[in-house]
Amino acid sequence: MVEILLEHASVEFSIYNARSRSIRNDLLKRVGGHIGHGVNNDRVVIHALRDINLHLTEGTRLALVGHNGAGKSTMLRLLSGVYEPSAGSALIEGHVSSLLDLSMGMDPEQTGRENIILRAVFLGMSVAQAKALVPEIAEFSELGPYLDLPMRTYSAGMAMRLGFGVSTAIHPDIILMDEMISVGDARFASKAKARLHNMMDKAGILVIASHSSDTLRQYCDRAIWLEEGRIIMDGPLEEVLARAHGTG
Amino acid sequence: MRKNAYFHLALKDIYLGFRQWGLAYLLGVGDTKQRYSRSKLGQFWITLSMLIFIIAIGVVYSFLFHQTLKVFLPYVACNYVIWSWMSASIIDSTTTFVQAQGYIKQTSIPRTVFVLRTLVRNFISMGHNFIIIPLVYLCTQHPVSWTIILALPGFLFILACSFFSCLSIGVICTRFRDIPQIVQAMLQVFMFVTPIMWPVTSLNESARVIVEYNPFAAILHMVTQPLQGIVPSLWEYSLASGTFLVLMVLGLYTFARFRARIVYWL
Repeated sequence: MVEILLEHASVEFSIYNARSRSIRNDLLKRVGGHIGHGVNNDRVVIHALRDINLHLTEGTRLALVGHNGAGKSTMLRLLSGVYEPSAGSALIEGHVSSLLDLSMGMDPEQTGRENIILRAVFLGMSVAQAKALVPEIAEFSELGPYLDLPMRTYSAGMAMRLGFGVSTAIHPDIILMDEMISVGDARFASKAKARLHNMMDKAGILVIASHSSDTLRQYCDRAIWLEEGRIIMDGPLEEVLARAHGTG
Repeated sequence: MRKNAYFHLALKDIYLGFRQWGLAYLLGVGDTKQRYSRSKLGQFWITLSMLIFIIAIGVVYSFLFHQTLKVFLPYVACNYVIWSWMSASIIDSTTTFVQAQGYIKQTSIPRTVFVLRTLVRNFISMGHNFIIIPLVYLCTQHPVSWTIILALPGFLFILACSFFSCLSIGVICTRFRDIPQIVQAMLQVFMFVTPIMWPVTSLNESARVIVEYNPFAAILHMVTQPLQGIVPSLWEYSLASGTFLVLMVLGLYTFARFRARIVYWL
């Protein structure tokens, strides 16, 4: 059963070392979540997400729309279980994979081979499963002899190939993405895209945050529009895009 | 959220954390490799410098406290190796979650994994340093007694204490970034009031209480006394167990209460 259910979920950050803001700053504010005060007016509180109600079920292809700081990334992290809501509740059923940072967990001093294992274990595999994965990724990433060199010797593109290869080798129930990923040169990019599509097709729930309407149209059918950490519209993709861009 | 829900989630985190033991192990080994990457002796540099320190302290203090070197050197070696492990574990736990913020902010892997990683890293380090003890025993022809098997549960005991203290210290130090300095300063004090580099017999009667009621001494002795052919006293076992219970309650409480807040504080 793959499901995400958010009920009155909020994400609030207390900023302990920030000065309280001035009215002038308030008036000039155009981006970001709502900034409020703590109970005793002694600290600054950022309401990154406020009172979110959302129900995603098997087959959902959801787009997150909103300008910078509207709460899209925070939303992705709430959906991935990184943030447990500071108020309300979040129920997440299913194995989540967030393709937010493909190289997370990789260690520049260790070899490519060791990093494949490390990254795969991070994604929830056992060490034995991870080891079995190495040949397939070695072939996909086309790194050849570099696989036995420390990762610090890799170019950025090579490191991306490896990170992408491992991250897409598993088939999670829920996929979260911040903008569409593209890796490598033209030939590799098309190969990578095919692999990514294969992974996305198998996922029960897909959530993409993007500023590109074309990307969203390609993968999503439903959208939510976030502003100042609130959902101000939830509906079919085209309707939301029209409203968001019409006023935006 | 209800009280028992916090507790339930914390226990789930600990359970899942232990199930992802392989990840904690890989991270711990990776940390060790990274710290000494491209150095020939690697972790053994620490062992070497510790060996020199132990010999120097052992020789000087044996004169200072009128001890026979053949007995005193193994004494210092055992104490110092195990104390270093305990104190390094405590100091490391102050940065457990802060150091892992890159991971914690990106995925929802159980927080316990990072606690275990800290334990693994320090255990590896202790394992290297431990070589000093048989080395010193060999050179001083120190007898080895059957009590040495009692040191094994002692190791497990210290690991368990480290686990729970890491839970609470890790959480508190993530919220209050001044605490790590205080912890370090306090450990220095404890190092001097715990019989590590001086013999208990050098204290006069009235001062013995600082050893008798010192939880660090009791926990230290769980390993060091069996290594030297002494069975720790019943009192020391009780004091150590009592300390463990306090650490466990504190650790579970702080972790249960603030586990979900860790990521917000990073």
